[in-house]
Amino acid sequence: MAPRTAVIGTGRARRPGATGGDQSALERFFSTSAGRIGSRLVLVALILLVWEYAPVPRATRFWMSSPSLILGTLWDWLFDGTIWAHLGSTLLVMSEGYVIGCAAGIGFGFLLGFFPRLSRVLAPLLASFYALPKIALAPLFVILLGVDNSSKVALVAVTVFFLVLTSTIDGVRAVDRNTVNALVLMGATRTEIIRKVLIWAALPWIFTGMRIAVRYAFTTTLLAELIAANRGLGFLIELSSGNFNTTGAYAAIMVVIICSVLLTELLSRLENRMSHWNQKFTPRSAPPSTAIA
Amino acid sequence: MAEGQRTRPADASRFGRDNILIWQVALVAGLLAAWEFFGRFSGGDQVSSPSRIINRIVIWLGGELYPHLFTTLGELSCGMAIGCSLGALVGLVLGRMPIVSIILRPIIVGLYSVPLVTLAPLFIMFFGLGLLPKIVLVSIVTFFLLFFNTFTGAQQVDEDYLRTLDLMGASKFEQFRKVVAPATAVWIVGGIKIALPYALVATITGELLATRSGLGFLISRAAERFDMTSLYAVLLILMALGLLLSETALRLEHRFLRWREAAE
Amino acid sequence: MNEMSTARAVAGAAGTPAKIRLLRAEKTFQVRGQDIEALHPTDLDIRPHEFIALVGPSGCGKSTILNMIAGLMRPTAGEVLYDGQAVTGPNRRVGYMTQKDTLLPWRTTRDNIRIALELKSHATPRAEADDRVRQMIELVGLKGFENHTPAELSGGMRKRAAMARTLIYEPETLLMDEPFGALDSQLKLLMLDQLQSLTQHRRMTVVFVTHDLGEAITLSDRIVVLSARPGRIRAIHEVRLERPRDVFKVRFTPAFSEQHERLWDELKDDIIKGTDV
Repeated sequence: MAPRTAVIGTGRARRPGATGGDQSALERFFSTSAGRIGSRLVLVALILLVWEYAPVPRATRFWMSSPSLILGTLWDWLFDGTIWAHLGSTLLVMSEGYVIGCAAGIGFGFLLGFFPRLSRVLAPLLASFYALPKIALAPLFVILLGVDNSSKVALVAVTVFFLVLTSTIDGVRAVDRNTVNALVLMGATRTEIIRKVLIWAALPWIFTGMRIAVRYAFTTTLLAELIAANRGLGFLIELSSGNFNTTGAYAAIMVVIICSVLLTELLSRLENRMSHWNQKFTPRSAPPSTAIA
Repeated sequence: MAEGQRTRPADASRFGRDNILIWQVALVAGLLAAWEFFGRFSGGDQVSSPSRIINRIVIWLGGELYPHLFTTLGELSCGMAIGCSLGALVGLVLGRMPIVSIILRPIIVGLYSVPLVTLAPLFIMFFGLGLLPKIVLVSIVTFFLLFFNTFTGAQQVDEDYLRTLDLMGASKFEQFRKVVAPATAVWIVGGIKIALPYALVATITGELLATRSGLGFLISRAAERFDMTSLYAVLLILMALGLLLSETALRLEHRFLRWREAAE
Repeated sequence: MNEMSTARAVAGAAGTPAKIRLLRAEKTFQVRGQDIEALHPTDLDIRPHEFIALVGPSGCGKSTILNMIAGLMRPTAGEVLYDGQAVTGPNRRVGYMTQKDTLLPWRTTRDNIRIALELKSHATPRAEADDRVRQMIELVGLKGFENHTPAELSGGMRKRAAMARTLIYEPETLLMDEPFGALDSQLKLLMLDQLQSLTQHRRMTVVFVTHDLGEAITLSDRIVVLSARPGRIRAIHEVRLERPRDVFKVRFTPAFSEQHERLWDELKDDIIKGTDV
């Protein structure tokens, strides 16, 4: 490893700690958890400070706004109900659309999964719909269902539907042919195989699809609110931007960011819990050997 | 029950394939016929009919469609070009700098968890109604996707390859060019493939919000006028565009990654 | 085709009609537009209650034969008869065990074994079913592991659970496709012993595919040697070892070694040709 000592700092061909003794002081600092978190905090603090106090001309300051102004707006909104009203609307639309989309997606997914010929016939049709950016349907739904929540819910439902549909079909298709055959030879009817095997076997895929769909439901709700709505976080962003209220727009975006981060955290906790539970059913590499054979 | 199960017995395949096609044609024909019937004799405005829609598309193809189509495609390609190149570059550089990446990565991940497309009104506020806000939006969306992919790829370059070249006396730059870049190319191409549909969504969203030209503009204009025929027509065109793009992405991947398939 | 007539002659000589018959059964697959002959027109008679092994290199059609007997696959030409009648659909009189145990991961051992009795085709009153399952669990030596999920069982235990699941509905014929291939040799012997006692006790007809000659000789009455693609029967050997056989010791008897050598000579050619056994 001798030639490598010339490469310090960037450490391109090695990682901090990978080659034990070779670390520089800098690397050692950053490999500790305190070092990492500390440096991130310092970075963020620096950015905030520059944002707040940089001496910029009035015009630029208008466009930039500042952390204090933004926080001020958020504070106001917190107490005059603005946030709650809009946040509530967004969450409501998101959940309604999600539930409808999941139910339809799973149902249809099972249908197509159990009847592969049907699935093959419909495949090109589904593929075309998949290729369409769903957001383009927003104006159509508004015309058909009005500016109120129904059009937004419909859009979210459609988006979620396609995602969950694909996952469900994948799940049903992933079932081992041998397992099904074994049951067929036992004399199982089609219904029995579906009920006893296919539905359960497809569950992991379905859950994965449902987890991914939550993000899309959130994003689609916001998008629908941007395009045509009179309520919701997306609407708040659009309203502020339309009024050239930079501070307001940033504040609304901050709320979205916070929600988004919370959502991600929630989903990742859920995923951990589920994979923990899943351990019971997934073979591990070294099975418990409390008995011979 | 061994590998043989996956193939289909000799007699069934040819018949089976034709059968499916017949059903598909029948289904589409049936749906179109029902729509046509419904459109002519009942609902009136809200429903339109395939014949009117096709008619409208044909008229547009005479000339009116192209400026809008090119606007959309232009925004899409400019944005993607900028986003992909920047994203790949930053991804490559940061991917090979462990310290910087460890610090910055969570911040970038945090930033990315924001639904980027919701920033569209912001950009319109900044940049007006022209092409620029959409290009910026597409660039940013693409940037993040390409960055993450390239970053992951750059980090995962097999150290053994690098060590081999090191022993041969290759300079850092040569190592980069001969090993890191091609290995990361896989991830970059993958990133482009993933980014394409998102870029399209970003473009259309921007156009729906505020624009004077483009497919999204055609949609809002049709919606404002309650012109269902035009609305459906644009949706159809958009669908075709989406399919074309995903097909292109697949072909691209095949072309550039043929060596990978051969290696596997 | 000397061996073919011998085979049929032997069946005839035994006096009882064959349990399973392949009459010029052949199988061709279409892969990417090309026809691949997996099984050359084959004749084979399997006697009732006999333990017959099919050995040969991969691609010689042994799995295809099993699938045709099970009714999961139809022959492209020729016939497959079970008890004198053509096999037209899934054959419910057989049990099938593969190398990969297909236990349902979300069910406990007990529920996995019980599944056949839950089906309409083998509907059994709850109490009786519980009884049978309990007996079966004891029989295969899984007492104490009833409530474990497959992920919590070792490889050998899963195999035994799979066997229990297959035998609980008492099929008269057992089809096995290299069931013990993934086990280590100690485990394998234990399983062979268990298999022998279970099948001999119930007088089952067993068709056992393997590439392990030792396995084949240890358990079978006859061994069918198949040659590589297109699969065709090369020879059928009688195994002249007395029953009951001690699975652990029989391999050290001279009769065993002699049989092994003869079989090895048959297969050697295919190995030299480069096909893997």
